[in-house]
Amino acid sequence: MSTAELIFVLVKAWLVTGAFVSVIFLTIGIDQIDEDAQDAYVFRPLLVPAILLIWPLVLWRWYVLKTGRDNPMSRFHPVRKAHDVVAVMLAAAIIAALVAGFSVRQTWPADADPVQLSEKSESSK
Amino acid sequence: MSVKYVPVQWNRNKWMYDGFLLVGVGLFLGFFLHIRPDFLSGNDPRINAQILNARAFGVCAFLMLSIILSIGPLARLDPRFSALLYNRRHFGVMTAAVALTHFGFILNWYFAFSKSNKYEALLFANTNYGQIAGFPFEMFGLFALICLLILSTTSHDFWLKFLTAPVWKRLHYLIYPAYAAVVAHVALGMLQDASGNVFPALFVVAALIVAGLHVAAFVHDRRHGDPVAEPVAEGWFRICKASDIREGRARIGLLPNGERVAVFRQDDKLSAISNACAHQNGPLGEGRIVDCLVTCPWHGFNYDVRSGRSPAPFTEKIPTYNLKVHDAEVYVDPNANEPGTYVEPVEVPPLEGEA
Ligand code: FES
Repeated sequence: MSTAELIFVLVKAWLVTGAFVSVIFLTIGIDQIDEDAQDAYVFRPLLVPAILLIWPLVLWRWYVLKTGRDNPMSRFHPVRKAHDVVAVMLAAAIIAALVAGFSVRQTWPADADPVQLSEKSESSK
Repeated sequence: MSVKYVPVQWNRNKWMYDGFLLVGVGLFLGFFLHIRPDFLSGNDPRINAQILNARAFGVCAFLMLSIILSIGPLARLDPRFSALLYNRRHFGVMTAAVALTHFGFILNWYFAFSKSNKYEALLFANTNYGQIAGFPFEMFGLFALICLLILSTTSHDFWLKFLTAPVWKRLHYLIYPAYAAVVAHVALGMLQDASGNVFPALFVVAALIVAGLHVAAFVHDRRHGDPVAEPVAEGWFRICKASDIREGRARIGLLPNGERVAVFRQDDKLSAISNACAHQNGPLGEGRIVDCLVTCPWHGFNYDVRSGRSPAPFTEKIPTYNLKVHDAEVYVDPNANEPGTYVEPVEVPPLEGEA
């Protein structure tokens, strides 16, 4: 099996697991942990795509809420400190990407011969 | 605000907002696809309709993302921009849809004719990770797309409540690496296509505005951050003078455990509540009291400052704090009360000039 196929299989396995989690969570779990969701059914299918993507997080929160381990005060502890660092890192990353892009950008007259930059792909070898 | 969940909480304003957004996206795409396609193709005959579509949707997603990223720092630099935070999630979901369309056009053109499955072809057609020129820039785009999908699919209010606002916010910090990846994706991808200058100029200006606004907001926060509360005897923390707090407004204090408390004056009585809104932890202390209720400046949730409760039928609750006034100074007990606990307001002398 090639690496590409392996990654592809893993992605499928992730999504299939997510599908199982969504069926169970949306039929049984959600009513146990959120009173606002009781008797509200139309919005539930809307949650499926997110569960497919982040199902481990869903299982973790479900467990925390179900077992009463949730600390109600943790909701009021906003993550503001990280914001400073993130803002500066974002600006630095943007500049770095622009510099990298312009440093290799080629300008050529319209009729110049193209240059092969990278190896040929497997399928065209 | 939650009562029972519905698929999308639309109201008249949001319908209008979404309508404008759709028309804006439509006009943008129409312009680049039909009126001035040369801006994206440089009149190169090899750029067919499929590629042009891919480019137009890509550019659109990039600009939408740049606007979304600019709203946060703008609102911190000048509170008047806070109005733009309203309905930002619908903007985000629409951006993810535009980005996904871009992905679809790319996948079904550049990778659809490979011998292997097109998704595998996308991952492994180019593996030159060791060089900048010819780097598989698609990977940056793929990463950003996955981030955008996570963000847009978790945008329903259910997720905020279920994950809690701090966890949800942390998850939504993915927008930052996603944007950086998008800039890299374009810089090493489409920017390398030398035809035309309209697109490179647009791209560089937008990216620099986003970077500049974030640095400016960072500097602004450093200069005007909330003051740290001073410890005094018996575990109380000094916030400010009672006379520093204007009628209907608050002063915010940073407590040693990292929580922020907002002390409000209402009819010359003080009440202290958590500065973090139950919705997305917006800064309640920057809101003002109207008819006994403080309105969150981010999305308009209301709370009674005496009890930290939203008015019925809403059920949101935030923690309150005990406070005392001594020698005209305001002190807060840093141990917050359970969310929704009523605390009797403390009377203070009226403000000079307003008595
Ligand atoms: S954070 Fe959204 S209303 Fe307060």
